[in-house]
Amino acid sequence: MGIRSMLSRVRPLINLLILMAIWEVAGQLKLVADGALPAPSAILLRLLTDWSDYPNHIGATLYGAGAGFLIGNLVAVALGTLFALYPVTARLARGMNVAIFALPPIAISPILVLTLNEMAPRIVLAAIGCYFVTMTSTVVGLTQADPRAIDLVRAYGGNKWQALWLVRMRSALPTILSGLRIAAPNAVLGSILAEFGGGGRWGLGVYLLGSLGRAEPDRLWGIGLVATAIAALAYFAFAALGARLLKGTEAVTVPSALPHSGDVTRPLWQRVLILLGSIALPFALWWALLAALRVPAMIAKTPPGLFDYLFVLPSAAAAQVKLLAALAQTLPMTLIGMAAGLALAFLLALTSQVRPGIVRALLPVALVTQTMPLVALTPLLVLMLGRGPAVILWITISVTFFPAFVTMAQGLLLVPRAALDVPRAYGASLFTQLRLVSVPASLPYLFAATRLTAPRALLGVMIAEWLATGTGLGNLLNQSRGYLDYGMIWAVAVVSVLISVFFYQVVVVIERRTLSRLGMAVAD
Amino acid sequence: MAATGIRLEGISRIFEARGKRTEALKDVSLSTEPGSFTALIGPSGCGKSTILRLCLGLDMPDAGTLTVDGLVPTEATKQGLTGVAFQDAALLPWRNVEANIALPLDVLGRKLSDYRPRIAELIRLVGLEGFEKSLPGELSGGMRQRVAIARALVTKPDVLFLDEPFGALDQILRRQMNIELQRIWMETRATTLLVTHGIDEAVFLADRVVVMASRPGRIAKIIEIDLPRPRHPALFNEEHFHALEREVSEALDGH
Repeated sequence: MGIRSMLSRVRPLINLLILMAIWEVAGQLKLVADGALPAPSAILLRLLTDWSDYPNHIGATLYGAGAGFLIGNLVAVALGTLFALYPVTARLARGMNVAIFALPPIAISPILVLTLNEMAPRIVLAAIGCYFVTMTSTVVGLTQADPRAIDLVRAYGGNKWQALWLVRMRSALPTILSGLRIAAPNAVLGSILAEFGGGGRWGLGVYLLGSLGRAEPDRLWGIGLVATAIAALAYFAFAALGARLLKGTEAVTVPSALPHSGDVTRPLWQRVLILLGSIALPFALWWALLAALRVPAMIAKTPPGLFDYLFVLPSAAAAQVKLLAALAQTLPMTLIGMAAGLALAFLLALTSQVRPGIVRALLPVALVTQTMPLVALTPLLVLMLGRGPAVILWITISVTFFPAFVTMAQGLLLVPRAALDVPRAYGASLFTQLRLVSVPASLPYLFAATRLTAPRALLGVMIAEWLATGTGLGNLLNQSRGYLDYGMIWAVAVVSVLISVFFYQVVVVIERRTLSRLGMAVAD
Repeated sequence: MAATGIRLEGISRIFEARGKRTEALKDVSLSTEPGSFTALIGPSGCGKSTILRLCLGLDMPDAGTLTVDGLVPTEATKQGLTGVAFQDAALLPWRNVEANIALPLDVLGRKLSDYRPRIAELIRLVGLEGFEKSLPGELSGGMRQRVAIARALVTKPDVLFLDEPFGALDQILRRQMNIELQRIWMETRATTLLVTHGIDEAVFLADRVVVMASRPGRIAKIIEIDLPRPRHPALFNEEHFHALEREVSEALDGH
């Protein structure tokens, strides 16, 4: 190995060391927010003195996350397989899937704590965190299996199930594993979020919440780092497993045949029926779950119960006022935060095209933040930024920025070299290349990033409101919990899911219009 | 077993996509003798690959009847009477050479242990000794294509379908593979239907070249190739060979 390649390998490590050194100095001199950012050495020392507290908390969080990971992924793979084999079911479940994707976990964690007991809320939220990623990667993996290989099985009289078993399952494995890699830190995050919702003595979330009021930044940092380390370990464990399992079995040729068009043109009434079914399904599930769990009607609101609370009961008017006031605070922040996060991600992604070194330097950071349980860091941000709108914006940008950046940078990287060669051959400047080729070519990824961002932005705003500013929907949720105002808890949860779904759908519609006009395919 | 070759009678197939109607095949009739080698040649979109997919039961005709060895295609494939090699090998990247060759046996639910000697023999036949345990990613394009041919032969098929099996190879390698394919075919004598773009390949290998035309997809001309077997590489330079090539070429141009 040459000196140069050695250097480029240890480069991220050197960057990290420099960062740590700056951090240490800043912490020792109490430069940031009056000591809210302690030196790494102080955090480590505190971790050591607190160490006896940790095993129980870590164990409880791992138990919730692990059980949720197992259940959520089993369900996800099973349903993903069903969706891939019978596309009608996928269309029927669309509403449910989008709702689960867009669900701000923080909004439903109080509900779960109310309706379930002990570890169940953590397991459910961890499972929900895994479901969407793994389900999507299962569907993508199964449907993108080499169509020639499937033909081959069918050419020997093989049926659907043999094709599934002999070809599709195995070829979907890499995609499913990369889904699991992202699902693993999500499960940890889900468990911690449920712990925030209350209930139970043990868990890193409980520990964090308990330490919040005590002005001990070094302990908070310690808990945040441990939570991050667990999530990151889960991520890299699955990354390593994937790399090991898949060695040397990548596809060697690109399919030259078009995939069979599975979209049978249905009559209008059937399409309308499927659409209505997909909207009704989440509500039916909500109802059915409550019925199955036998939760008292006072605590658990069914769809008509919630309707009564918001529109029929004498207290309805007051409830509406409260809800609308909170919405008026939350919605603008969500839009601003989302726009800022996306803009920043886009700018950085473009810059990284010009200076590829930036991506290489940032990617490890991006990976870590992808695995970082953002709630664990919120209290720290409060310490550093105070309790104003700045902290909301900061948290929202930080939860939307990196996923959007990674998606956009990937899109820009995938722009074929040959497409760039044409403008280059005519002496186009870098900016012209970006404008004429890179940006239009990576448009599907831009939209994918926006889709990804909308629900995360709302989640970020609500977390900040809950833990920091005491405004908006996040605060309303927290207050209603204290007042035992069950109707309002449900109202906030449902409204926040609806908002997320709405944002998501708006992006999807614009995306479909734009891309189909440009003759491009939607990126996953 | 009553081997009756491949029979198509009045086959039509229409595709509709986004409001556009394409007649991929219109009233196509063709029958091949058991043990014969037939080449299908024609411009892109003339429906030659559609014929092959219909024969394998991967697709259904809109009109007409079709039999393979006297059976409907789905029945013939289930009984393991057919073998197939697609363009671009289509090997499963996670199975080694042996396991890829054995894939049809898995689909047909046959006992692998009964076929061990057969697989070893096929690997010898296509010249891949020593690569039994290699993954497709470790093989060259020509070697992968030979694995696909061996896989097509593993069930000792009565009827062999080849869909541009050497389409992705360069001209030099293609010639070599043509010569090897003839040798393998002469040993097995399966009824063979080859879909190809290559005029020289069609003339060199086939007893009959079926020239197709497009829009709608139909048979334009059938040319008998009277060259004696075994055919040698030197044939590629002979005047009679060139004359036959010219005849196919003219038929393709619509003469």
